[in-house]
Amino acid sequence: MTEEKIKQHTRQVLKSFSKKKGNLIPILQRVQGRLGYLPREAMLEVAEFLGLPPIHVYGVVTFYNQFRLNPPGKHSVRVCLGTACHMKGGYITLDAWKRRLSIGAGETTTDREFDLDTVACVGCCVMAPVTVLDEKPMGKVDPTKVDGLLLAFEREREGKKKQ
Amino acid sequence: MMKTVSLTIDDKQIETQAGNTLLWAALDNGIYIPNLCSLRHAAAPAASCRLCWVEVEGKAQPVTACTEIAAEGMVANTRGTQALRLARNGFELLMASHPIECARCAALHVCELLKIAGHLNVKLNKNPYRKLVHHLPIDSSNPLFNYDPNKCVVCGRCVSICRERGTGVLGFAHRGFDRRATTFYDELIGDSACEQCGECVRACPSGALTFKVSVNV
Amino acid sequence: MTTTGVQAIIPAFQELKVCAEAHWKGLWKSGRTVITVGTAACGQAAGALEVLQAFRDEVSKLNLDCRVIEVGCMGHCYAEPIVIISKPGYPAICYGHVNPVIAGTLVKEFVAGDNPCLEFVLGALEKNDLIPSLSEFPRAQYEKKLILKNCGHIDPTDIEQYIANGGYLALEKALRMRPEKVIDEVKRSGLRGRGGAGFPTGQKWEICRNSAGKPKYAICNADEGDPGAFMDRSIIESDPHSVLEGMLISAYATGARQGYIYVRAEYPLAVERVQIALRQAKKLGLLGREILGSNFSFDIKLFQGSGAFVCGEETALIASLEGEAGTPHVRPPYPAVSGLFGKPTTINNVKTLTYVRHIINNGAEWFAGIGTKGSRGTAVFALAGKIVNTGLVEVPMGTTLRQVIFEVGSGIPNGKKFKAVQIGGPSGGCLPESALDLPIDFDSLKKAGAMMGSGGMVVLDEDDCMVEIARYFVEFTQRESCGKCTYCRLGTKQMLEILTDITKGRGKLEDIDMLQHLAEGVKAGSLCGLGKTAPNPVLTTLRYFRNEYEAHVREGRCPSLMCPDLIAYYILPHKCERSCDACVGTCSVEAISPDKKRIKVIDQEKCVKCNNCLVACPLQYNAVVKLSPPGKVPTSKK
Repeated sequence: MTEEKIKQHTRQVLKSFSKKKGNLIPILQRVQGRLGYLPREAMLEVAEFLGLPPIHVYGVVTFYNQFRLNPPGKHSVRVCLGTACHMKGGYITLDAWKRRLSIGAGETTTDREFDLDTVACVGCCVMAPVTVLDEKPMGKVDPTKVDGLLLAFEREREGKKKQ
Repeated sequence: MMKTVSLTIDDKQIETQAGNTLLWAALDNGIYIPNLCSLRHAAAPAASCRLCWVEVEGKAQPVTACTEIAAEGMVANTRGTQALRLARNGFELLMASHPIECARCAALHVCELLKIAGHLNVKLNKNPYRKLVHHLPIDSSNPLFNYDPNKCVVCGRCVSICRERGTGVLGFAHRGFDRRATTFYDELIGDSACEQCGECVRACPSGALTFKVSVNV
Repeated sequence: MTTTGVQAIIPAFQELKVCAEAHWKGLWKSGRTVITVGTAACGQAAGALEVLQAFRDEVSKLNLDCRVIEVGCMGHCYAEPIVIISKPGYPAICYGHVNPVIAGTLVKEFVAGDNPCLEFVLGALEKNDLIPSLSEFPRAQYEKKLILKNCGHIDPTDIEQYIANGGYLALEKALRMRPEKVIDEVKRSGLRGRGGAGFPTGQKWEICRNSAGKPKYAICNADEGDPGAFMDRSIIESDPHSVLEGMLISAYATGARQGYIYVRAEYPLAVERVQIALRQAKKLGLLGREILGSNFSFDIKLFQGSGAFVCGEETALIASLEGEAGTPHVRPPYPAVSGLFGKPTTINNVKTLTYVRHIINNGAEWFAGIGTKGSRGTAVFALAGKIVNTGLVEVPMGTTLRQVIFEVGSGIPNGKKFKAVQIGGPSGGCLPESALDLPIDFDSLKKAGAMMGSGGMVVLDEDDCMVEIARYFVEFTQRESCGKCTYCRLGTKQMLEILTDITKGRGKLEDIDMLQHLAEGVKAGSLCGLGKTAPNPVLTTLRYFRNEYEAHVREGRCPSLMCPDLIAYYILPHKCERSCDACVGTCSVEAISPDKKRIKVIDQEKCVKCNNCLVACPLQYNAVVKLSPPGKVPTSKK
C-alpha cells in the first residue's frame, strides 16, 4: 500500500471521531481494522489529528498486544496459552504450528498466507487446547489436528486454483 | 505564609511545607534518600523506581517516601533494616540489568547510580542476581550526545524534561522488560525533531544519555 | 427527583413489561416446539454454530412450526454444544455433545416424531416421570444460581426476553428509592467486589457519591484477563442486560452520568452482544435521557481493551480509557475520589454489578443470609483443567473446595490423582490436598496463600508439574508486566530466568532460596496489584511442593513427567506390537522407525516430544512411556 493510500484510509477513519485524547485507542483499533496493521504514516496522521506527540502514539501502540506494526498474513493463527490450554499441552500445539509454518510466534510466513501468535486466554478453557483460526475458536487442537487444519487450507487453495 | 508542619526524620527535627512528600521534606533538609523517578513539580509521583523506602512509626510496612505526605509529628526512619532491605533489593535488580563499565562511562563523575550504591553500601561487582542486560545499538546520531538505551533505568526524567523544555520527541515505548525511553518508531534521535537543548542529558541519572564532549554540567 | 418523575416510572415500565411478556408468551405459544442452542464462545468452540445451522436446515426442510433460538451458556461446558428442546407434552429436555448429525436426528425423531432420543439426553430441566432432571444431579444440592440463573435460558440478543423474566424490575424499584437508600441497601447486603480484592461495594459507591467533582463516571470492568477464567465472558455473552441493569442502578446511586463497559479485545462475541444490548436498551428508553420518564439520565459506551492484562487493574484501565498506555498509578487517590479524567469514578466487576439487581429485588437481608459472615452471597467459579465437569459453577460462599471440585465438578478424570487447585490466576496460588476442606471465602483463601481473584479454578492432577505451573504464571506476569516499576519489571524477569533454568534441569540448590527471596521482594516492593500478587504462584508452590523443586534441581528429574527437557519418550520393546505402526504414522518429525524385529524405536535426537506417539499407541499395548530424567532411556539398543 502506498503512503498516500495509507493516509487516505486513516483520514477516512478519523472523520467519525472527535479530537479527544480518550479516542486514541478506539481510533487505532479502527485504523488497524481497515489496514490490518498500523503503519508509520497512519500513526503520524493520528498523532497530528489528536495533537499528540508522535512518540505518545507509538508508546501506546507498542504497549498493547493487539496492535501490530507489520502487515498480517491472510489467515491468522492464535494459539491460546491460558492456564487450562497450557496444562493440556497448548505449548505442544504452539510448537506444532511453529514447525509446520516454519515461523515463530509474532511472525508471518514469507508467502503472507499465515501469521502466528499466542493469546493469553480466550476463555474457552473447557475446549483446551484452543487455537483461534481466523477469529474462530477451535477446540482440542493437538499436533495431529494442526496438520488436518493446514491440509484443509491447502485443499481450499487448490480448489480455488482449479476454478 | 504557607503552612508548615514539623516532623522527625532519622532523629532530626525538620520543618517542611504542608502537603510536601516525605521525600522532598528530607531532601530539602539535607537528608538523602535514594531516588530516581521523583520530579518535584510532577502532578502525581510516578513511584516507579521503588528506592525511596522509609519506615514510618505506626505503619507496619515500609512506605515509599515519594508517596507519603509529611504530617505533623510524623517520625520516619530512612535507615531501618526493612526499608534498607527493600531499597537494596530494588537497586540490585536495577544494577543486574545495567551494564557495569564505569571506567569507560562518560557519566562516571555525575553518575547517580554510583551515589546510590555508595549510600546503600551495595557492591556493584557482587550482585546476587543474574545479569540480564539488553543488547540494543547505541544511538550516536545526534551531534551533541549519545544514547545507550541499555543503560536506561526507566526513571522518566528525560521524558519529562523533553516535554517541558525540549521538543517532546522522547517518550516511553514498549512494555515490561523492554520498556525504555525512546523516540517515535525507535528512530535515531538525529533523525527526529530534537533541537539538541541537552536538557535530557543533564537530567539522566544513569549514564544512558551522555554528552559527546565533556561539557560543564 | 420531582414527584412527576417518580410517578411516571411505574406506567412507563408497566408498558414495557406488558409488551415483553406478550412477546415471551408468543414464543412459547401452545403447540409449538422451541429449540435453544447454546452459542456462547465455549459452545462455538465446540461447533455450536454448525449445530444451529443443522437444526434450522432440518426444521425448514420438514416445514415444521418450530422456533430455533440462540442462547448463552448454561455452565455445563463439558457437554457443549448443548441444546434444549421444549416440546409441548414433554418436559424441556437438555441434550449434550450435540453435533449436526444428532441435530438432524433430534428434529426428525423428536420434533417431528415422538421419540425424545434418550441416548443423547443430559437431563430434563424440571422434575418429571420420564427423564431424570438436572436438579436431581448430585451437584445440584451444592449449587445456588443467582447471577447465572438466566444464562443459557434466554436469548441474550433479545431484551424483551430479559424483561419478561424479571429484568429491569430492580431498576424501576431503585428509581423510586432515594439514591442514598440504594447505597444503604447494597451496604447492608454485605456485597464485596468480585474482581478479586473484595472491597465492599456499597462503601465504594458511597465514597464516589460523596466526592466532589462532576461529571461522575461508572465503569464496568470486563477486562477479564486471568488465564483460566471465563465467568465474566459467559455472563456478558449470556445475559448482558443484567450487567447493564447493575450499572444503571450503580450510576443512579452514585450520581454518575456516563458509563463505560471495558471489554477485553479477546472476547469478540461479548463485544457484539454488549453492542446489541446497548442498542436495545436505548431504544426502549432504559438508557439515555430521562430513563423511564424519571429525571435520571445515563448513557453507556462500549470500550474495547487492546490486549493488556494489567488493564484489569483499575488505575491502568482508567489510563487506557484516557488514551494512555495502561500503566498503573499510585493509590490513593482512589478512583472513587479521583478517577477517569480526574473525576469520581466507580469501577465494578461484571459479577459484582450482576448481583445488584437481585439485592434490590429481594432485599439486603436476603442476600446477607447467603454465604458466610465476612463474605456474603455466592461465588462463581470457572472450573477448568483436569476436572470432569468443566464449566461454570455458582455456590454459596463457605462451600468447601472439596465440594466444588469433587461433588459439583465430579472430580478428576481418567482415574488420576488430585494434586493441586490453582485459584485466582496469576495473582492466586496453588493449594494442595490438605487445603481442600477450606470453606471458600475472601479471607480463608488469602490465609492459605491464594486469593479469590476473579474466580478461575484450574484443577491439576498428578501429571502436572508444580514448578512448571509456577514458571507458566511468572512467564505470564512477566510478559504482561507494564514495565513501569523496578520490582515488577526486573524482579519477575529474574524469577522467570530461575524457574526456566530449574525446569530445564540447569537449576542449582541455591536458586530455590534466591527464588523465595525474590518473590518476597517483588511482593513487598511492587507498585500495583499485579506486581504485588505476581509472586503468589511461586510462594505457594514453594510452600506446598518444595520437594518437586528439589527433584528438578538435585536429580534433573520432573516427578510429574511434564517438563520437556527433563523427559524422554521411550517405547517399551516388550510391549510394542510388531504389526502395529500407529506411532510411526503419527510422529510429526519421522523420529520413529521399526528395528529389525519390527519393534519401534524413537530416535532421541530427532524427537520433539510432541506426545503424538503416546496418544496414538493403542491402549491394549500401552508401549510408549515417558522417562525422567531422560538418561533413563536404555542406550544399548539404538
